[in-house]
Order: sequence, then structure tokens, then C-alpha cells
Amino acid sequence: MKKEFPLTNIIRHTLIVFFMLTILLPLAWVLLLSIKSMPDSMRGNLWPRKFDFNHYAYVFEKIDTLPQNLFNSIYVTSATVLITSICAILAGYAIVHLKPKGSLFLVTVLVLSLYFPTRVVSIISIYEIQDYLSLINSTNGLILPYITLNLAVSVLIMRSIFQLIPGELIDSARMDGAGPWRTLWLIGIPLAKNGLVVIIIVNFVTAWGEYLLAATLTNDQEVRTMPVVLASAQGGMGQWAWPRIAAVYVIVVLPGIIAFAMAQKLFFKGLMEGALKT
Amino acid sequence: MSQDLLQAILLWLPPTRGETAKVTTGNPAINGPTPKSWLVEHNNWVFLLPTVLFFVWYQVYPIIRVVWISFTDYKYLTNDPANWVGFDNYVEALSDPLMWDSLGRAAYFTAMFLPGTIIIPLLLAVLIHGVQNQRLATVYRVILLIPAVIPSTLVFVLWKWMYNYQIGPINHFLVEVTGWFTYRNAPQWLGGTDLTLPSVAIMEVWWGLGYHSVFFLAGLAAIPKDLPEAARIDGASEWQVFWHIILPRLQPIMLILVILRFGTSMGVIDEYLIFGGFNRESPTYTWTIFMYDQAFKTGLWRQGFAAAIGMVGSLVMMVFVTWLIYIFRSRD
Repeated sequence: MKKEFPLTNIIRHTLIVFFMLTILLPLAWVLLLSIKSMPDSMRGNLWPRKFDFNHYAYVFEKIDTLPQNLFNSIYVTSATVLITSICAILAGYAIVHLKPKGSLFLVTVLVLSLYFPTRVVSIISIYEIQDYLSLINSTNGLILPYITLNLAVSVLIMRSIFQLIPGELIDSARMDGAGPWRTLWLIGIPLAKNGLVVIIIVNFVTAWGEYLLAATLTNDQEVRTMPVVLASAQGGMGQWAWPRIAAVYVIVVLPGIIAFAMAQKLFFKGLMEGALKT
Repeated sequence: MSQDLLQAILLWLPPTRGETAKVTTGNPAINGPTPKSWLVEHNNWVFLLPTVLFFVWYQVYPIIRVVWISFTDYKYLTNDPANWVGFDNYVEALSDPLMWDSLGRAAYFTAMFLPGTIIIPLLLAVLIHGVQNQRLATVYRVILLIPAVIPSTLVFVLWKWMYNYQIGPINHFLVEVTGWFTYRNAPQWLGGTDLTLPSVAIMEVWWGLGYHSVFFLAGLAAIPKDLPEAARIDGASEWQVFWHIILPRLQPIMLILVILRFGTSMGVIDEYLIFGGFNRESPTYTWTIFMYDQAFKTGLWRQGFAAAIGMVGSLVMMVFVTWLIYIFRSRD
């Protein structure tokens, strides 16, 4: 390893730290806002003079619909992540190792759908479909379109993960008499673990923060999900005083960051294998 | 090789190695000389069934349906059957100056956002790649990916507050910390001013900063270490090494990001719904909002016209995407 000239190193780290602060400061600001006392929240200073940790309890006790909205988000997101992951594992495995007729065509269509602004344009007829199925203003109804939001990407990620598993390994299992389902369960899934972490995180992030469909397909506050509630909340007085709304924000944003922190190693591995094949 | 970086996922490049070869070869014991029986073939299709079902139901059919709607005077609310009106909706959309204005606004946003979201992460990645302390490098990498796990709407809401003129820390910094502005003339970032689109672009660059840097870091890691070393021994300056050795090898990733982000930035809708509203003069009133406005908000429920706007916008985008892919592929 070449020893670096100290000055270059100082400049390098100063610049990096600047960017790191740029990433972290907005988050630190909202976190601090959520534990500021009311008067401090109206002053702009980053560090409050007086802390107040009661906003978290307050929002759960005083905002009637909040527990319901939070539950809606958890419910819709879990269902979406579960179903999309199952679809992606099955399809990714089949495309690489079973190769039924038409799988190449399927891959082509999936890739093409990534280039087309499908999400934007399809909203017109998705509204019609949901209306036809009486799923307008229904939390359950959101799950169906949510599944497809990242379906193409998820299938393609699982496909490249399964391509890393040698065909001989799969074939030898099947020679031993295991059917395709058993092979997938016993050999495929354990080896595709890292990719699975990536698609779970990707789908979680999308479903947890989805706005367009949720705002278009629901009307009543009780059936809505957290992103719509947060986006329509106007900061100000009463229940939606700034520190309180910031507390709601922290409650919503934290699960993703914690999940990522825990799965960080697996996530990086999976990203390198699946999304960033080198 | 960095050339097939992301190839499988995001770009439909010709199968340089693998795909077609894999389909025909493979283990003869499984799909060999004897043709697969009808049962085996269809049993395998069961694996694809859930994906195909959902994909057709909520992606393929809706698009086909929108294309059909765009040629009719279809409305959700009436019981009258929709009438085929041919290209009337398209003629109306194309002759509406708002169509072109709104496409122009989307293009203006893309022109601001795209260079920032490629060049800044590239610089950051080069800086971090040179960090020799492994533990520090890991810390940096983890911080980089934090914004990538913040869901879209939460990023928008966070920045809506950051730009807020009452409590937003940006204006607090400009007014009280530095004193460059007073509360009277402090910039109004969002809400349809000229600063709105640049503000949204800054937010989007922030959001993608870490994620794109990780892309570039992966690309940098794939460059053999002796290549820049050899050039340095031959007397090349750091700048020359970067320009002639590093940058050409990062080009494939860069072009993938350009194509991907071009698509997302031309098709931005959630941000504009949250920041903008439906004022036709607002810079956030792009073709996506124009479409949404016509379909859901004006009270006229002209889904046929809205569908035509959506198709025009999509087609313009597709022309540029195809052009970008063409450039990309011709350089390989």
C-alpha cells in the first residue's frame, strides 16, 4: 500500500465528512425536533434549550387515527413484501433452472416495463380496476397494485442471484430424486439468502413509503397509510404541532433504518451479487 | 467485468455470455435430447404463474387499457358506453400549449437533476475509494446507504419541512446564523416559485447521493489495482490517471445511471403532488400532473384526454430513452 501524502488525506477526509454530514444532518434535525419543547421548536436552533420527550406518548394518545394508520401501513407492507418475495423467488428460480418455454419472453417484458413510466400512466386504469372490484377506499385493495410496483425488479434480482448457483448443484439434487419444489426449498433458498434480503428491503421501502396509489385510491383518514397522513399533515398548532408531527415522522422512518442496520452485511453482499454484479 | 454490471437487471443488452447459451445447453439428463413431457413443462410454468398473474393484472393490462382509453371519450362516472373518437384526444393534447410547457418543465427538472446526481456521487465515490482505513470505509458505506432505505414520501416530507420558511433549518441558517437574508426577503423554496424545481432537484440529489456512490464504489473496486499504479510509475499525474484510466472504466455504470435516472426524473409525480398542487402556472405542473389533474381533479373526469396526455408524455420519454440506449450500446 502506498502511503498517502498527509495533506491529500486531510482534504479527502474533510470532503468526505462534509458529505456525510449533508446526509445525516437533515435526519438529526428531525430527530431533535421530535424531542424539543414547544417553545424551542419555534426557534430554529438545532440544539434545544429544553428537551421534552412526551411528544411520542402524546401522538399515540391524542391523534385518534394514528394507531389505525400505523397498523394499515404495517399490514399493507408486510403483505406486499411477503407476496412479492414469494413471486420473485419462484419466478427467478424457474427462469434460471427450470427454463419453461416463454421465460426469456417474460424477462424481456419485465425489463421493458422498467423503461416505461408504467406507474404514472397506469394509475388511470388501476383506478378503474379497483373501482370495478369495489376496492376503492380499502386498505386491503392497496396490496394488489403494491405487489407489482417492484415485481419486475425483484424477479430480475432473484434471477441474477440464482444464476450464481451452479446448475450442476441443482441438477444433482434432482438426480437424487428431489422434485423442483424440494430442490428450491432445500438448496435454492438457502443459497439465495442475500438476494432475498435485498428484495425484502427494496419492497419494504417502496410499500412503506408509497404515496401516489394510496392517495388516489383512498379517501378516508382511517383507511390511509402513514405516508399519506404525513404528507397531508400541515405543521402548526394542536395535535400537529411541529415536535409532535416530527415524532410521528421518526416513528415511521425508524423501522427501515433499524432493519437496514441489522441486515447491513447481508444487504451489501446481496447488492453486490444481485444488483451490482461485477 | 464491469460491463455486465447490472446488465441482467436493468438493461436489455444482447446476451454476451450466458442467456441464450444456457437455454440450449445445460444438463442433458434434465432437458436433454428427449423433449420435456407436457406435464413437466406445465409444472414448471406453475413457478411463473404468480408473477405473470400479478404482472398482467396490474401492469400489462392497465397499460393496454390506457392506450384504448386514450382513443375514446371514456369517463369513469357515466353509464354511457365510451365512444371511439380516433385521434381527437391526441390532437387536442398536441395542440394544447400546456402539453409542451409541461413536458418542458419535466425536461428542465431533468437537466438540473441528472448532472448533479451523476457527478457528485462519482466524486464522493472516488474520495471514499481512496480511504485506506478499512473500518472508516465501512462506516462511510453504511452512512451512504441510509437515505436509500428512507421511503420516498418520507424523504419528500422531510425536505418539505427543511424548506419551510417558519421552522425550516435552511432559512434559519440563511437568516439567523449567517444574516445573509432577513425574514422578509428570505427565499421561498417551494410553492410554485422559480426556486421550486431547483429545490426538488437538490432534494433528489441528496436522496440518490449515497446509493449512486455505492454503485460507483462497486465499479471502482472492479478496476484492477495495478492499472493506475502502472500509469503512475510511468509518470502520469493523478488527474490523468482519473481521466484516462478510471473514468472510461466507470462509463458503463454512469450510462446505466443516466438512463435510469432520466426515466425517473421525467416521470416524477409524487413530489409534485406533495409540493405543488394543481396550479397550471406552477413549475411543478409537468405532464404527469397535467395527466393526473385531467383524470382525477378537474371535476370533468376526462380520462380519455388524460390517457392521451399520458401516452404523449410516455412516448416522448421513450424516444429519448431509446436514443440514450442507442448511444450506450454503440460505445461498447
